Amino acid sequence: MKQQKSPPQWMNSLLEKFCDDRLFEGIAGDLLEDFLVDVEVNGYRRAKWNYIFQSIGFLRLIFKKKTKLMTPMRSIWLNYLSTTLRSVKKNKAYFAINLLGLILAITCGWFALVYIQDEFNFDQIHSDKDRTYRLYKRNYNPNENKDHLTYETSGMMAPTMLEEFPEVESFTRFCPWFEDAILSFEETNIQTEHFYFADSNFFEFFDYEILAGNPRSFLTAPSSIVLSESMAKSLFGAEDPMGKVVIGLHDLNYTVTGIFKDVNRLSSMEFDAVVSWSTTVPNTGPLGYTWMNNWLAQGIFSYVKLNAGSDPNALVEKLPAMMERHLPERADQYFLRLVALDDMYLSSDEIKYSRGTRNGSKTFIAVLGFSALLILIIAGLNYINITLSKATQTMKEVGVRKVLGSTRKQLMNRFILETVLSSSIAAVISVAIITSFLPTINLLSGKELPLTAFLQPSSIAFILGFILLISLIVGIYPAWILSAPQVSTIIKGSLPKGGSNKLKKSLLGIQYAISILLIICTLFITRQVRYLENKPLGFDREQVLVIDVNNEVGDDTDVLEAELLKHPNILDVTTSRSAIGAGSYSTTIYPQGSSDEMTVRIFGVDPGFFDVYGISTNQGRTFLRGSIADSANMIVNKAFIDHLGWEDAIGNKMRFSADGDQFGIIGVVDDFHYSSLSENQIEPMVLYLNPTVKWNTSVKIGAQDLKGTIEHIEDTWNQLATRTPLNFFFVDTWFNELYKKERQLFKIATLYAVISILLCALGLYGLTRLQLQQRMKEISIRKVLGASLYSIISMISKQFVLIIVLSLGVMIPVSYYLMDSWLDSFAYRISIDFLPFIMAGVISLIASLTIIVVLSMKTVNTNPANILRTE
Amino acid sequence: MKGTNLGELEELILLTVTMLYDNAYAIAIRDEVKEKCNRSITISTVHAALIRLEKKGYVDSRYDGSTPERGGRRKHLFSITKSGYNALVQAKEQREFLWQHIPAISFD
Repeated sequence: MKQQKSPPQWMNSLLEKFCDDRLFEGIAGDLLEDFLVDVEVNGYRRAKWNYIFQSIGFLRLIFKKKTKLMTPMRSIWLNYLSTTLRSVKKNKAYFAINLLGLILAITCGWFALVYIQDEFNFDQIHSDKDRTYRLYKRNYNPNENKDHLTYETSGMMAPTMLEEFPEVESFTRFCPWFEDAILSFEETNIQTEHFYFADSNFFEFFDYEILAGNPRSFLTAPSSIVLSESMAKSLFGAEDPMGKVVIGLHDLNYTVTGIFKDVNRLSSMEFDAVVSWSTTVPNTGPLGYTWMNNWLAQGIFSYVKLNAGSDPNALVEKLPAMMERHLPERADQYFLRLVALDDMYLSSDEIKYSRGTRNGSKTFIAVLGFSALLILIIAGLNYINITLSKATQTMKEVGVRKVLGSTRKQLMNRFILETVLSSSIAAVISVAIITSFLPTINLLSGKELPLTAFLQPSSIAFILGFILLISLIVGIYPAWILSAPQVSTIIKGSLPKGGSNKLKKSLLGIQYAISILLIICTLFITRQVRYLENKPLGFDREQVLVIDVNNEVGDDTDVLEAELLKHPNILDVTTSRSAIGAGSYSTTIYPQGSSDEMTVRIFGVDPGFFDVYGISTNQGRTFLRGSIADSANMIVNKAFIDHLGWEDAIGNKMRFSADGDQFGIIGVVDDFHYSSLSENQIEPMVLYLNPTVKWNTSVKIGAQDLKGTIEHIEDTWNQLATRTPLNFFFVDTWFNELYKKERQLFKIATLYAVISILLCALGLYGLTRLQLQQRMKEISIRKVLGASLYSIISMISKQFVLIIVLSLGVMIPVSYYLMDSWLDSFAYRISIDFLPFIMAGVISLIASLTIIVVLSMKTVNTNPANILRTE
Repeated sequence: MKGTNLGELEELILLTVTMLYDNAYAIAIRDEVKEKCNRSITISTVHAALIRLEKKGYVDSRYDGSTPERGGRRKHLFSITKSGYNALVQAKEQREFLWQHIPAISFD
């Protein structure tokens, strides 16, 4: 009668599965009895819920089934552990090899992961990052049919976009200053590279933390300055900075109106001091920079925020029409585009001109990630190979266990446990390595990774995931093979194969291929970096230093030059607008006989420039000292006349505007480099006499007593300057600084190549030992029959040499293709010759043969009687 | 071993088991505790306490008396052992001893 009202059956069966058998009958009975009463009192619905509630109470440990296997299972696992430890003790070398491989793999993988993750974390703090875009442009040069990407925009672009397109919600612009700025308060002078002019809404547009002042208004008034916390501290010490007046750019007074927290290292924008944009607006601020506030001058960085849901691509399509309306003369050259703020950092690979912001590189990330992956693969293959090589040792254990009734699954557990154990130990050691060598690692990678980045959940998950992966994918296969031998074969005494030798050799082949690839790439990268650093630059780069005099000393350069020349080791001095390494400008000219404009580099120099830098004359002459006539004469470089196809340039004329004055060419100098060899070809150049603009003093010094010479320069400077610190650089150092990116790539590639060859050697070591063990008797018999040492070693090494040669053969075309396309990204590149390929082959052959010979010697030198008498 | 002491709930249930004498199973115990002490406890709590008491050797258990209300399942019946009885007596004496040493107090 009440039978149809039964309690939920699933709960009952769950309990039946969970609870101890002895207790279950009483429990189920009690619950049912209670339920039936409950149905009468509270109705079925309530009763059902009560039943479930009451039942859940029984899912406690105290009611749990006591598994009969529990205790014996534990002892089996303990036994696995102790046999594992015993086999580790017995085969310390194998264990160490395996461990070393795993440690290298985990450390490299972990580092690469954290590095890459960190690069993706740039600029993620801003709340509207998904609808904020940076404006950039493709700059097309129709005369040369070349183009490049640049972040440089003009000051009017973003405001006009806000005015004309409703989907633009707001914009902000900033202009990082071109050189170091000096801020002074009382006796303290602080120099900073990170000095920005920025729109008044800069701190509303981006989410930087404000410590003092109102971010809505503190950059509104002209001559307002907002400082970073640490900058304020170094300028004012413990005093309250707000409202204080500092002397800054162009010796003007700036009032401190706000303090922001130091910019996070994960921000592409870097600034210590921000000055209000209104300072630069003509008729409003004291600086009155028209070039920051017109259409033509490029050099401003602009960001726009779009309304939620608007399509940036649709907006980009409307931009050419805007250019046509406002800057028609450049509408066929400047093509504006937008890049989202949150991918901007890593999308800067192709950007040629940028300033004051940090840029990441997708190429570098790809190289790093790919190499780490290759190392992981090598380490995994290595692990399989070496573990398989142990088959001889584990055979007896497997036999005994099988006789005692172990199932194959249990035996596999035994071997997988070993893998889990070694990868866990490796992980612990990797953690120790990373924690203790983090400063070195950061130095090597050129990044400031904090330890916390390594210990965040995703990195921990990576380590655990790696252990799991190694244990499952890499551990299962050897476990399967090692647990395979039939008891009968073991008893008969035949040697287990330990997986097919073909497989092991192809695994080794893959490892070699990867290593050879990495070695070849490293060799090419080394050669390219060395080429960039050592290519003749067309001038005497040694011992020329450039002093920045675009400051208070600029008026006293005659005194400076005279004082400097008093030192015997200072050979020559010149002061001019341009200097190599101090930035250069481009302009357009109209050469004689052509109506097309031509883009040229322009250098303002004084007559001494050519001597100080040792630039040689190709045709004609250079400027004469004290010549007034020469101020209407021009000198061009070789690239200039080559571009125009002129044989003889002397006497030819050019104009700077279509209807401007004509200037004659009096000389042609040989090409010299003035910017990064990796990025820029030497462009056509015009040098003009400009002795009145004094921005840079170039000093040629002799080889002796460098320290004393620098001291003399410092002393002289301190006599002339009151608040500007001496700021100089060596031209050759400046050039080498340009190849940071390449050098970083070189360091990582070298490191990974070394690791990969090390891993390969480890794998080879394991495999050779196995071969020797398996063929011990064969070798002994051969020896007895009179085989020479040489013939035995060549018998063992033949196959490995074959593997190496094969992998080399496969990898030569692959690496040729890879390196050729990498080198193509350089303006000046080495050509690909065969030396690196041969070297890679020789390195891997020599390393491998050494291992084989050393190992074989041991076996070959054993008295054959010792081996054969057990038969 | 910590388990030889009687917990408060255990003492309550052990007393109820003694009281119910021949019909001491979880449902009856729970109903009795509810009725006499006005305390609501879940069936599983009673079971857990009984298992603990059994492990300490204070109760024995047997299966008996299947009824149709229980779907044909027998009751898990409990009865107090000698040592269980001793433990109860000891707990009672301890309290009385302590009570005797409390001086007369008043709370107003």
